[in-house]
Amino acid sequence: MNIETIIESLVALFINRPFIEMLIKVLIFPGLMFPLLFVVFAVWFERKLLAKVHLRIGPLHVGPGPLGGIFQLIADALKLLQKEIIVPYNAHKILYNILPLAMPMISLAAMAFIPVAPFPSVGPVDYLVVFYTPYNILVVLALFAIHPFLVIGVGWASGSKYTTMGALRAAYQLLAYEVPVMLSAACVVMVTGSFDLIKIVESQANIWYILLLPIAFLVFFVSMMAELGRRPFDIPHAEQEIVYGWATEFTGVHYVCVMFAEYVNLCVASCLVTLLFLGGWLGPVLPPAAWFLIKFGIVVVFFLMGRGVYPRLRIDQLLNAGWRILIPLALIQIFIILVLAKFAPWILPVTFVGG
Amino acid sequence: MSIMRVRWGPQHPVSGQWAFWLDVDGDIVVNMEPDIGYTHRGIEKVAENRTYIQNVPVVERTSVFDAGNIVFGYVQAVEELMGIEIPERAKYIRTIVGEMSRIVSHLYGLGLLAIAVGFETMLMWFINDRELFLDLFEMLTGARITYSFFIPGGVLHDLPQGFYDEAMRRLDYFERRLKDYWKMFFLNRTFITRTRGVGVLKREDAIRLGVVGPNLRASGVEADVRKDEPYAAYDQIDFIIPTEKEGDAYARGGVRFHELEQSVSIIRQALKKIPDGKIRVKVPITPTPPKGEAYSRVETARGEIGYYIISDGSNRPYRVKISAPSFRNLLAMPFLSRNVPMADIPTIYLSLDLIPLDVDR
Repeated sequence: MNIETIIESLVALFINRPFIEMLIKVLIFPGLMFPLLFVVFAVWFERKLLAKVHLRIGPLHVGPGPLGGIFQLIADALKLLQKEIIVPYNAHKILYNILPLAMPMISLAAMAFIPVAPFPSVGPVDYLVVFYTPYNILVVLALFAIHPFLVIGVGWASGSKYTTMGALRAAYQLLAYEVPVMLSAACVVMVTGSFDLIKIVESQANIWYILLLPIAFLVFFVSMMAELGRRPFDIPHAEQEIVYGWATEFTGVHYVCVMFAEYVNLCVASCLVTLLFLGGWLGPVLPPAAWFLIKFGIVVVFFLMGRGVYPRLRIDQLLNAGWRILIPLALIQIFIILVLAKFAPWILPVTFVGG
Repeated sequence: MSIMRVRWGPQHPVSGQWAFWLDVDGDIVVNMEPDIGYTHRGIEKVAENRTYIQNVPVVERTSVFDAGNIVFGYVQAVEELMGIEIPERAKYIRTIVGEMSRIVSHLYGLGLLAIAVGFETMLMWFINDRELFLDLFEMLTGARITYSFFIPGGVLHDLPQGFYDEAMRRLDYFERRLKDYWKMFFLNRTFITRTRGVGVLKREDAIRLGVVGPNLRASGVEADVRKDEPYAAYDQIDFIIPTEKEGDAYARGGVRFHELEQSVSIIRQALKKIPDGKIRVKVPITPTPPKGEAYSRVETARGEIGYYIISDGSNRPYRVKISAPSFRNLLAMPFLSRNVPMADIPTIYLSLDLIPLDVDR
């Protein structure tokens, strides 16, 4: 075997279409690069947007012209990575070091199951998704549901009073809002008859679910805001009450991981809202990936705007809203779907078997 | 569940320069003890070692957020000791500065109340409009925060050229902004849910605890030194004392907000009515008042401040006793913080508009 055949076989192994497609999927678009760039951009955009609402100017330096401040997050992250890792005296050493590192991994894992657009290919239709499974909505929601447990673990392992309080608040809040998220996602699954996000998007070709299932959209959006801990619901982090909640003790790498996980979660949640209710990548003229990014961006702006226009709720008011308003609303939506399926099945995109 | 003792401050995002001991049962605060003294500077003792005029910037440091009204009481007490009657024009300028100082202080206080419920936008808007009046202060006195503008005998400078037009322009703009604030802030449903019924101070409790200022008026007591014992030019100006009946955090914020409107109207009237004449009477650079004592009280943004000065006939006061408004309002804080959720502690604290500087002196 001479050297030329080795090179040829290596070329045949790596320089072929499926391998490059896989690389693009894993490393660039729905995979690693997209959430990373999203975090950098979202933090900068949040600062700029809030500055406009606050009648301030916002970040100006570390970046070219109107994009001033866009590299600030990278500079901050590099600075934080150099910092000493301080482990509190009372902390559980092992859990305190492992759990914050697990957070971004789980968030990124959820990102891997989200299809974002059909891949422009000549052969049979392929989708931009890292791991395809027909039950991907279940997997994503299940990965989302791991976060409350990590938060409780972090709060307990830090061994401080404020982190304990923050963790308990987060536990109440995240567990309470898991139910409406599941119920409103169930509405979409019922109408589509499939757990597959690709099928869910394709069934919205005629009408988006935001119009067909407005109550489910409302419940899903509000519950997702609570799951993410965005402003009207940022009770686990309430700075004025419990310093920084369950993440109070973190410095350096741990803090970077926790913040990164929060913004990747925002990315996952915005993807879910876009796919479930806004018709995903469907749209005329523009390429599907562009449509997806436009809708995704609009959803992100709505998530971020909460910080500009709402004060924070109290934990008891929040739980009341969850159990007494959102869950009944989701149940009403399910009831409406059942009534429609019985008496007006032509409205729904998929006819129920035996309906 | 066992009771957890949490130290809330002094290294806490909103605690200010003091600390609270909170006994927390789950999420409910069962007991609260303030721990004050972090900013004790011994202002009363310092004042005994300086001349009467040197004391003006010293007593101003009691609470720099409301620098105009804090000094007001001191200079009035010194004038009473010396038996000076100040010119009419000086009285009007003092009224204008006092009301501008009240606006600046209330904007700061309302901004902090907004931040207590996590409403950053309102804080920024209030702080932004505070600039309007800080610029006017700069125009009038040369300084923005600590201007030491009042001296025994009158004021330092006359109104500068163009001050009337500039002030009117800014007041017009500010009044338009106040309408927005009412809609954005006080009619915001989430803000109402967070502050209505929080920290309710009933009328009789407020009187028993000796609460003063907007906190007392929010409990339905119509008490204001500007009306009860008019000083400076307040007896020639038409204004009302806003009161509320509920006595909760929302009512305390509302009283401050309506006082902003009244202050704007007072400044307008004073600027229109201001007579010509001298701005101060001649007072020696080191005044030596005769032996005696004097008490003066004025209404600051946080409530009534009292100055009791004893003179032994030398050029330095024998004793200066300051009865500070935040110290008197502090007594309401442990009373209101029993059996409330942890999340209401910052709302109660900042709705009372307590300033640690003022408490410790």
